[in-house]
Amino acid sequence: MRVPLAWLRDYVDVDLEAEALADRLTLLGMEVQAVERRGSDWHRIVVGELLSVEPHPGSDHLLLTRVRIGDAEPLLTVLTGASNVAAGQRVPVAVPGAVLPGGRRIDVTRMVGIESQGMLCSGDELGLTTDADGILILPGDAPVGRRMAELFGDVILDVDVKPNRGDALSLLGLAREVAAATGGRIRWPEIVLDEQGTPTAEHLSVDVTDPRLCPRFVGRWVDGFVVGASPLHVQARLTAAGVRPVSNVVDASNYVMLELGKPTHTFDAAAIADGRIVVRPARAGERLETLDHVTRELTPETLVIADARGPVGLAGVMGGAQSEVGDATSAIVIESAVFDPVSIRRTARRFALQSEASLRFEKGQETRLARIGADRVAQLVVAWAGGRAAPGRVDTAPAEPAPVRLPFRPSRVTRLLGAPIEADEMRALLARVEVPTEAARPGDEVPIAVGAPGIRLDEEAARDALVAIVPTHRRDLEIEADVAEEVARIRGYDRIPGRLPETPMPVFRPDPRRAVDAVRDVLAGRGLNEVVTHALVGPADHARLGIPGDDAAIIRVTNPLSVEHSQLRRSLLPGLVRVLVENERQRRADIGCFEVGHVHDLVDGVPREEAMLGVLLAGDQGGAAWNQAARPADLWEARGLVESLCTRLGVAVREAAAPSSVAPYEHPGRTAVLRAADPAGNLLDLGRVFEPHPRYLEAAEARASHVAVALVSLDALQAALPRSQRYAPFPRVPAVERDLAVVVAESRPAGEVAGTIREAAAPLLRELRLFDVYHGAPLAQGERSLAFRLTLQAEGRTLTDEEIDAAVARIVEALGSRLGARIRS
Amino acid sequence: MDLETISARLTDLQAAGLEAIAAASDPMELEAVQVAYLGRRGELKTLLGGIGGLPAEDRPRVGAIGNRVREALEAALQGRQVELEGAALDDRLAREAVDVTLPGRPFRRGSLHPLIETNREIARIFGQFGFVVYEGPEVETDVRNFQALNIPPDHPARDLWDTLYTDVPGHLLRTHTSPGQIHVMQQTAPPIRALLPGRCFRYEAVDASHGFEFFQVEGLMVDEGTTMADLRGLLDAFAHAMFGRARPTRFRPGYYPFTEPSVAFDVQCVVCDGAGCPSCKRTGWMTILGAGMVHPVVLRNGGLDPERYQGFAFGLGTDRIAILRYGINDIRMFLENDLRFLEQF
Ligand SMILES: [Zn+2]
Repeated sequence: MRVPLAWLRDYVDVDLEAEALADRLTLLGMEVQAVERRGSDWHRIVVGELLSVEPHPGSDHLLLTRVRIGDAEPLLTVLTGASNVAAGQRVPVAVPGAVLPGGRRIDVTRMVGIESQGMLCSGDELGLTTDADGILILPGDAPVGRRMAELFGDVILDVDVKPNRGDALSLLGLAREVAAATGGRIRWPEIVLDEQGTPTAEHLSVDVTDPRLCPRFVGRWVDGFVVGASPLHVQARLTAAGVRPVSNVVDASNYVMLELGKPTHTFDAAAIADGRIVVRPARAGERLETLDHVTRELTPETLVIADARGPVGLAGVMGGAQSEVGDATSAIVIESAVFDPVSIRRTARRFALQSEASLRFEKGQETRLARIGADRVAQLVVAWAGGRAAPGRVDTAPAEPAPVRLPFRPSRVTRLLGAPIEADEMRALLARVEVPTEAARPGDEVPIAVGAPGIRLDEEAARDALVAIVPTHRRDLEIEADVAEEVARIRGYDRIPGRLPETPMPVFRPDPRRAVDAVRDVLAGRGLNEVVTHALVGPADHARLGIPGDDAAIIRVTNPLSVEHSQLRRSLLPGLVRVLVENERQRRADIGCFEVGHVHDLVDGVPREEAMLGVLLAGDQGGAAWNQAARPADLWEARGLVESLCTRLGVAVREAAAPSSVAPYEHPGRTAVLRAADPAGNLLDLGRVFEPHPRYLEAAEARASHVAVALVSLDALQAALPRSQRYAPFPRVPAVERDLAVVVAESRPAGEVAGTIREAAAPLLRELRLFDVYHGAPLAQGERSLAFRLTLQAEGRTLTDEEIDAAVARIVEALGSRLGARIRS
Repeated sequence: MDLETISARLTDLQAAGLEAIAAASDPMELEAVQVAYLGRRGELKTLLGGIGGLPAEDRPRVGAIGNRVREALEAALQGRQVELEGAALDDRLAREAVDVTLPGRPFRRGSLHPLIETNREIARIFGQFGFVVYEGPEVETDVRNFQALNIPPDHPARDLWDTLYTDVPGHLLRTHTSPGQIHVMQQTAPPIRALLPGRCFRYEAVDASHGFEFFQVEGLMVDEGTTMADLRGLLDAFAHAMFGRARPTRFRPGYYPFTEPSVAFDVQCVVCDGAGCPSCKRTGWMTILGAGMVHPVVLRNGGLDPERYQGFAFGLGTDRIAILRYGINDIRMFLENDLRFLEQF
């Protein structure tokens, strides 16, 4: 809320500098987000008197004025294009050398042969009013020659009022806070009405069909006024507060909203049939053209103000165009009502019409303000537009609630705050915000949580308890903890001492991120860069993965900011490829990056998240240099990386196999599934390593030709982690190495050959390493040779040559009989 | 031959041998010298082979002289050999010399993302005070994200969180890590000291200080005696650990429906040290987190008796902390993943 200080001073004395006041309010929970000085950017702009106004001899749309800006100053000749000026008026004059808001300089200029010594200013040019067409006409008593900044400059505080303090969304409400901070007192505006003519009740009747939706409706009738512009100081105040001046009648309503926090509405009385108002839910099929000239389809969830013919306004949100106050309006109905906050909020959101008024209704309204607001608007209309306020009001619920008793225990307040505050001090602090206190009585109930039974005070407990008498404007004070906050707030949060906890420590809990952090550390140690990409991706990203737009497992955002971020990612791949593409644009083609993040899908209607590791390698992975060649990314690089990572965590990759089916984004011949065993020995899929399909890379606009990816489930990795790490004694007898060159059909996977060797050589085989793959002569077409180095060892003794030969023979036999392999010597 | 002649010839032989040894320029030559003088058919053997003609009493004397000559030659040979080997090694090393100003073998410089590392640092700091990490889902229910946190449907405070809703009924993208409070209270008995780091989502246009995806860390401490003074003490400790001992902090009222009293916690602007600058909107302070005493309704929704238990919660914006910690001026850098940015961490 924008608070012009000159206006605020109507209600409370402020002796502080603006910055000091801003600090005090901020420390009181009314955060001042900006301090703005209106007039600080008006340089050499003074009040001038127009001595004469004549047509420019050479132009039809310029006027030539003679302006007096002080007895000691020479008269100025100023040209203007505006037509609303006349001799005798006082206006703001930018004299040569002046600077206007926005930095615009005013100098002597020639226009159609005549020199203009400055410029007459509009209200808009100074930010005082919103009128940009005419020159701002100042009051007749504005002192000639005075600087405009002295007369109309002001300081405006931009205060962030929190949603629970609707009462402070007003100058009076913030004046209360200033008074609490400074120990001052607030001044209510004097509301006196000179009522004349036929009583309101004879002009107007109001019928509310559901008092839950409209607990109170106060109506007033004013007629005989003349619609026109508000006094300049009113326009200046409204403009400073961020509300556009419209006319004296409409301005009166807006002024009261800012002053008291009470939104009201003025209807042209002529547009209300027979002066009979009904507040009711809209009927299906009803329509209303609102003030913004949009015709809206109404539904029974919308509360409307209606007459016999139909709706004339959306209750609490926006009036109807038909009943808008215009120049010809001669009588108005003032509506000052209380509406159900939820109903108003829903209507405002449905029609995207959240306004200053609806925001205040949503936060709840003090009942008595309905009466006070109606009177105040009537008073200001008469003051600014003339006319008569009809005697009395129409009021659907004249009874006004009394202050609420809120019992609380000072000891409990102290226990919550951790600061020793005597009960007497609490009483004094609460008194500063108009909350008196009294002694509690046995049987009083301390409210702990709204909607739950309170703590009933027995005789002894009541002796130490107090009751806060909460005034009706403080709707936020409902439970004991609210009182604690109010005490702490008025006393100053800074006076709560800081200390380190002495309460018991929680039981040990293993860090769920430990394995993930280990993965990150290992990969960064291997030279990869960790990235964080968006969890929200677009349908195009999923389509490229082969997931159609209507796929039932995609979780979609129903109100996305953009299509590109409208679906929860089902894979880390699109994000990683985007990292590649973006960096390629910066001419960084050699990339090793990884991301740890969640992927999402919908399983049987239930959202499911899986923690994943994604690795993308592109271009040179070895670091080509003057003394070494490049090592382009490939499947083996990605696989080796994942395997070394798993080994580091104590997880052995048991199996790498060609998958039974490949995704459209995977190279059909360069994709492997990695499997590991969990501690119970069950094989589980860790994830896949692959080179992306060239078409996928092309569609994603990646240029790299050597790319490899690993997508590993961190949930699976976590499940495969050993429960404990145990030392395994190693044999101290020498090991024996034997090399075997196995010739097999090219189509036979090396993994199968290795598996056969492992099986046949157990339990003597310590290690098996494939060290060469050979094609060509003297091997036949379609054959290849796989050279393995076997490390054989027995526990506790040296192997004999016979044992070794027997083992090798077993292996050779198994390879021959199962795989049709022979040994190349 | 008489003794004199033999002695003279032995002396000559020694002189010639020493000369030949000194003249040998490589190990091969030296070996040839050794064979020529001391070999089985070498000159010394040959000369001494002729002493049979000497009188018996002269023979030992000649033998002694012969031994001295052999020893002298052997010593010279060995000395010369060490010399030659040293020279050969020096020679090899000289040939092996390289241009040491050529660059070293390139190893890729890995990096960890500043947001995730900031989360880890936050967990490390609070870990010293007994806080342990929990995790919650990114797709939350409206109930846990709002209703259990004392924010009913149609509550005006919902405007504080511009929410991204999903097509899964009752589910949305969590707008904050606070629903984690409910998760923790429902699965753990007090005393509770919990941290919940995670990714959050808001319907928010992207600019230098806002994004629709961002990271938060929620803190929760509940037991029978945790007070607002404990909250302040811990937040001060955190701010000092993160931004230095000397940095002033400010504890002031805030508003959240799920805390009462609610707190906003500021540190003195790290850009201008309190003088006022655009980064701190000229206030000299930067708000780094929101906090407060857990609202009794939230304690109840977490299954705890608010008359017995009390405590605090806080929500830290990881992005904000990271920005201040590293002096980054645009939040968008975090998700752009430009290597020129990432490689600095
Ligand atoms: Zn600053």
